[in-house]
Amino acid sequence: MSRKYRIVLAGNPNCGKTTIFNCLTGARQHVGNYPGVTVESKTGEFMLGEDEIELIDIPGVYSLSSSSPEEGVAFEELTKPGIDLIMNVIDSSIPQRSLYLSTQLAELHIPMLIVFNMSDEAKRKGLKFNIPKLQSYFGCSIVQTVGSRGDGIDKLKTALAESLLHLEDHDVPKLTYGADVDDAIHELVQWIEPAMTDRVHHIPARFFAIKLLEKDTCVMRLPEFQNLDAIIDAQITHLYARHAITAETFMADCRYAMISGACRDAISFTQERRREISDKIDAVVTNQWVGLPLFFVIMYLMFWFTFTCAAPMTAGIEWMFAWIQGLIERFWSPDAQPVLRSLLIDGVIHGVGGVVVFLPNILFLFLAIAFLEDTGYMARAAFVMDGIMRKFDLQGKSFVPLVLGFGCNVPAIMATRSIESERDRRTTILVLPLMSCGARLPIYVLLVPAFFAVKYQAFIMFLIYAIGVAFAMVAARILKSTLFKGDGEVYLMELPPYRVPTAKSILLHMWDRGVMYLKKAGTIILGVSVLLFIANNFPEKKTFDADYGTQMLAVAADTSLTAAEQAAAVRHIENMRRAEAAEYTISGRVGKFLEPAFRPIGFDWRVTTAAIGALAAKEVFVSQLGILYAEGEGAGDDENEDQQEPLRQQLRRAYTPLQGFCMMLFCLLSIPCLATLAIIRKELNSWKWMFLEAAGLFALAYVTTFIVYHAGLLLKIGTNHLL
Amino acid sequence: MNDDKAPAGKAGESACNVMNPGECTLAELPVGETGIVISMKPSLRGRKKFADVGIVPGTRLEMEAHAPFGGLLRIKVMESSLSIHRDDAANIIIRRQDPS
Repeated sequence: MSRKYRIVLAGNPNCGKTTIFNCLTGARQHVGNYPGVTVESKTGEFMLGEDEIELIDIPGVYSLSSSSPEEGVAFEELTKPGIDLIMNVIDSSIPQRSLYLSTQLAELHIPMLIVFNMSDEAKRKGLKFNIPKLQSYFGCSIVQTVGSRGDGIDKLKTALAESLLHLEDHDVPKLTYGADVDDAIHELVQWIEPAMTDRVHHIPARFFAIKLLEKDTCVMRLPEFQNLDAIIDAQITHLYARHAITAETFMADCRYAMISGACRDAISFTQERRREISDKIDAVVTNQWVGLPLFFVIMYLMFWFTFTCAAPMTAGIEWMFAWIQGLIERFWSPDAQPVLRSLLIDGVIHGVGGVVVFLPNILFLFLAIAFLEDTGYMARAAFVMDGIMRKFDLQGKSFVPLVLGFGCNVPAIMATRSIESERDRRTTILVLPLMSCGARLPIYVLLVPAFFAVKYQAFIMFLIYAIGVAFAMVAARILKSTLFKGDGEVYLMELPPYRVPTAKSILLHMWDRGVMYLKKAGTIILGVSVLLFIANNFPEKKTFDADYGTQMLAVAADTSLTAAEQAAAVRHIENMRRAEAAEYTISGRVGKFLEPAFRPIGFDWRVTTAAIGALAAKEVFVSQLGILYAEGEGAGDDENEDQQEPLRQQLRRAYTPLQGFCMMLFCLLSIPCLATLAIIRKELNSWKWMFLEAAGLFALAYVTTFIVYHAGLLLKIGTNHLL
Repeated sequence: MNDDKAPAGKAGESACNVMNPGECTLAELPVGETGIVISMKPSLRGRKKFADVGIVPGTRLEMEAHAPFGGLLRIKVMESSLSIHRDDAANIIIRRQDPS
C-alpha cells in the first residue's frame, strides 16, 4: 500500500543538507561551501519503494530558536503539524557542535533519522564513531554518508524505509540535563500541559518547558503561556542561583555538557590530523597582511578569466548567427513577405542573436563565482574584507551577496537573508543593484571595443565595475548614517574547511545558469525584441515632407558631379529619408519626445529607447541598438555596403567615446531590471521602498552621467571619434 | 554606534585588572595560543548565539588569525573555525593555556 510521507531536512549551516536533498530527489538546488547558501525552504519529491516522500529542505541553523530570519523559517517549518520524520543532517567532522541541534530536535519527539554526512572528512581527521551507542542515545538510526560523492545514499534510503515502518512506535531519546534541571522541566510541564491548545498540541509540553527555561522569545510570546510568567521566573531564579549562570546560555551549557558526555563514550580520535592542509592555506589566505592583496588578485583573475577565455567562443557564436542570417537572406527573397523577413533578420537575429553572443561570458563568470563558492573562499573573502566594509558601515556578511551580485542581482538579494542585522540587510539590498550584474556585461562587451583602443579596454572595463562598487559603498555609508542608523548585530560566521569542488557541481551550476540565460533570450528578450521591432518600424511613413525621389533623380541627372560625389549625395538623401521615416515610428516618437530630457547626458533618441527597453532586461539595450542600426541601413537596400558592417563600427560612427562611456555609466547605475525590482519589493516587503529605490537610482544615474558628460565635453576628453 | 561600544570596552579593561592571574579576554589572546572559556561578561551581546556554537564555559578556544584592519578574529571552537568581532571577544574571559 503506498503512502505519502512528509520529511524535513534539518541541520547546521553548511553541513550538506542541500547536497543530500539533491541526491535523494534528483533536484539541482544550488550548493556551495559557505554557511547560508539555502535561504528559503525548498520542497522536492521522490519515491521510496511504493511510498511517496515529500522532502523539505530548510535553511541551516545552529539552534532551534528564532533569533534570526533563517532560524525563524526553520523553527516555523519544524513546529508545523504533519511532519512524519526529521532527517537531521550533521557534519560528522565536527560532531560536538553538530549534535547540539540534534538534542533540540530530539525534544520535539518526532521520529528522527540522523545522517552523519561528510564522513570522509571525519575519517581523515581520525574520528571514530560507536554508531550503536549513539543510536541508542538519540533513539534513532544513524547513517554515514558522503553527500558530494553520493556515498551511502542507498543505505540512507534503506534506513529511511525502515524508520518509516516504525513511525508509531519509534524510540524516544531520554535526554537528561542534570537532576535539578530535569526537576525544573518536570515541574514546568505540569503547568504547561493544561495550557496547551489544539494549535500546539502536536508538540510535547517538555519541548516548551525547555524553551521557556531558556527564555526563547518566540515561545514566550505564544498566548498559551502568557500567564505562566511567575512560575517560569521562579524556576529560572532557582536554577540560576544554584549554577551562577545567566538565562540565555544556561540550557546551551547543559546541552554541551550532555553531548560531551555522549561524545566521550561514543566518539574517539585515532590520530591527531585535523584540517592540516586547509589550515596551511588559511595561514596565507586570511593573513593579516597578505589576505587583502590576495583577494584583489583573485577578483582580478576572475574577471580576466571571464573576458579572455570567452573571447574565442564569442567569435564562434557571432559567426554562427552571421551564417544563419546569410542563409535566410539567400533563400528568402526580399520581395516575398518583406516585413516578416525583416522581422526575422533585424528583429530576431539582431535582437536575440546580439544577446546570445555573450553567453560564453556569462558561463565563465558563473563558473568563476561557483568556484569561489564551492572551494570555501567566499567565507574567507568576507573575513578579510570585513575591515574595509566596516569603514563604509557594512560588514563582512554583506560581502558575499555583493560578490554574487556580479553574477545576477536577484539571487544575490535573496542571499542577504543570512545577514542577521536588519539594518545591514536592508542597506545591502538597496545598494546591491549597483553591483554590475552579468546582464549588464553584454553592454560593456559591445561598447568598450567599439569606442576604445585595445590598450584602454581592460582599464575601462575595470573602471565601470569599480565605479559600481564605489557608488555602492558610498551609498551604504549614507544609508547607514541616515535612514538605517543604529547598532549592528553580533557578527558570527563559520569558515568551513577548503574543499575541492566537484566538477559536477560547478559544471551543473554553470549549465543551469547558461540555460537560464538562453531561456531569458528566448522569452523576455525575444518578446521585447519583436515589440521593439514593431515599435521601430510602425507606423510606416507613406508620404514624406520632402520629395526624396525627385531629389535623387536630380542628383543622378546632374552630370557635373563625379560618380563618387553622386553616390555620396544619394546616400545623404537616403539617410535623410530614413531619419524622417524612423522619427515617424512609435520608437521615434517616444524617443523624440524624451530626447530633450536625455540629450543633456549625451543620448540621442535611439539610445533613449534602448535605455527604456533595458528596464525589461538589461541585455535589451544591446538588442535595441542591434535592431535600430540594422534597421537604419534599410530593408531591401541590399547593395548598400553598410549592410554587413558590424554594429560596433556603426556605433563608432554615430557616437563619441564619451557618449559611449556615458551609456555604460547610465546602464550601470540606473534602474535595475524588473526582476530585480520585484525581488527588492519582496525582500523589503514594501512597494514604497521599491519605487524609492527605482527613483533614487535613476536620479543617481542621471546626475552622474550628466556631470561626466559635461566634464568630458569641457575638458575635451573622448570627444573625438576613435580613442 | 561606537558610542555604545566604547564604555563596554572600558568596562572590559577595568574588569581585566581584577581578573585572576592567567586570565584575560579572548580579544587579548595572541595568534596561535589557546585558552579555556571561564565566563562571559554581562555586557556580551548575543550571548545565546555564541553559546549555540559552543562558546560556553569550559570550551577550549584557539586564536587562529586576525583579519586585516583588526575588526574580526578567527578562532577555532570544537574543530570548526568561527569569525567573531573583537568587540564581542573582549567580553569573553578565558584562561590562557601553555603553548605546549
